[in-house]
Amino acid sequence: MSSKLMLDLVDAVSSAPVGTVVAFPVDTAAEVDIVRRWCDATGNSVLSVLDTAIEVFRGRITDPIEALPVERRPGYRLWVYTNFHCNLSCDYCCVESSPKADPRVIPLGEFRDLVGEAVDSGVQELYITGGEPFMLLDLDERLVAATAFLPTTVLTNAMVWRGDRLRRLEALPRQGLTLQISLDSPTSELHDRHRGAGSFARAIEGVHTAIDLGFRVRVAATLGTDAGNAEAELQQFFDELGLQEDQRVVRRVARQGSANAGLTVSRTSLIPEVCVTAEGVYWHPVAAIDPDMLVTKHWRPFAAALSAMRDEYRQYRIAGDVLASAFPCA
Amino acid sequence: MTDGSLLVGAVAYSANVVPIWEGIKDYFEGSAAPMDFVLFSNYERQVEALMQGHIDIAWNTNVAWIRTLRQSDGAARALATRDTDLVFKTLMIGRAGDGLDGLASLKGRRVALGSRDSGQARILPVHFLAREGISTDDVELVIFDSDVGKHGDTGRSDLDALRAVLDDTADVAAVGVNTWQNLTAAGDETMSDLAVVWESEAYSHCNFSALPSLADDVAQPWVDHLLKMDWNIPEHRVVLELEGLTEWKLPELSGYQSLIDAMDEQGIADHW
Repeated sequence: MSSKLMLDLVDAVSSAPVGTVVAFPVDTAAEVDIVRRWCDATGNSVLSVLDTAIEVFRGRITDPIEALPVERRPGYRLWVYTNFHCNLSCDYCCVESSPKADPRVIPLGEFRDLVGEAVDSGVQELYITGGEPFMLLDLDERLVAATAFLPTTVLTNAMVWRGDRLRRLEALPRQGLTLQISLDSPTSELHDRHRGAGSFARAIEGVHTAIDLGFRVRVAATLGTDAGNAEAELQQFFDELGLQEDQRVVRRVARQGSANAGLTVSRTSLIPEVCVTAEGVYWHPVAAIDPDMLVTKHWRPFAAALSAMRDEYRQYRIAGDVLASAFPCA
Repeated sequence: MTDGSLLVGAVAYSANVVPIWEGIKDYFEGSAAPMDFVLFSNYERQVEALMQGHIDIAWNTNVAWIRTLRQSDGAARALATRDTDLVFKTLMIGRAGDGLDGLASLKGRRVALGSRDSGQARILPVHFLAREGISTDDVELVIFDSDVGKHGDTGRSDLDALRAVLDDTADVAAVGVNTWQNLTAAGDETMSDLAVVWESEAYSHCNFSALPSLADDVAQPWVDHLLKMDWNIPEHRVVLELEGLTEWKLPELSGYQSLIDAMDEQGIADHW
């Protein structure tokens, strides 16, 4: 008897304070449909449909994604771990890369498909990372393919540009490509402590190689828990290298992968950035081997994976807002 | 107000009155007529505060407006109203298929009425029945005197009266059109067990009431700004939707005549 359903619904929801959630019991799909239509017509929102109830949010929900700056919205940027093997074994690597790591390479054809679907889904920027992407001998083909559609940044330690790899680097397009080079300290001591002896000098050499070849360069530093006041020194060093604000990135290490200390991250505490690896779609590139951050094992179709991630983020944020608004009243 | 803001009174009939008035206050911030608000637990105390000059403007029900008008010897002014207040109605709702049609068919039947201070659910239904020649002795009244002091704003007695019809402890329920519109918002078929037996003519409901002591050059900028709230602007819409309107309008005082007549007939006092 839907009249009683409507009386119960109006009774339960209309008197509820705006911003609260009412779990309203429903038995059938038809009842769910009625509640949805009523919410649409009366300025309320369906939060989720459970087995025996529908959660109604009193009032209109502002889309948490719309509230984000465009460049922070999930799906603006796509991260791709092309591979996981690396010439270095950094002690805080968030994905435990090393020369011995299983490469887990995304095949070239699949990579092309992924870029194509990402473009169709509205992705605006591509970030390629690993492992060390330049370990892949076909990286140049990937970058040529990617930059034809999207501004592309490739993360590198800039240490493997020798011989054939240097020639391939020289042949890469300059337009639409940024090389983001890791450099954790203005001096070798801190950098080499985490990344290996001699790595600082070769990274500096790599920075100059990239700049001299006419590439757009960004330098990125990961500060460990032992970084002290390295950030101020780093910024001064970046000034000396002539880097503009948008050519420098400084972030704290996260407790992920090999790092046994650092920032704690989780799905509920991070704005997602779609990250695809050979093993699936992850919530964020900083946690691309963390099982808790795996969104789906299959990135195809990309639009569905992105949609699932956006929906999950919305739910976290809305639930968070509900809790936040309830807190002062407790 | 010490800062020169207008002080508007409203009755806290639900927790959502706070976000409504915070939203309206925010809307007026930076305008030519900034305002603050104060909430009362009932309309009696609010009218008293207006008459004593403790507030500048009162957001009154139709019953509170008429009492304000009478206590001020007709000097009170209605400044603005909701579009929905200009076309408010009382509906008689019965069981579908019961054969009831029009007020005359209610003679001898069980009529559920709402709170005694509700214009739409009690005072006007009794008046409309009497106008049709049906006194309260000609029907069996089923009274839901809930939330007295709120003048029917909570809708509690409307819902109670409708449940009585579904539970077969009443044949018809007198409710405000806003309650019925809310119940049928997902489509008329969702309330197919019940049917509209009778619908009153439109009458006026709430308004912003003020006394002559509120100078025109203070009131007018406030009204002008109020009328500019726009349903198509999301921040405005949140407030308008919660308060149950799409547009603020100027009042139509003739729309209060039926309630004035009803209160006279029923001997409802000008004071409490």
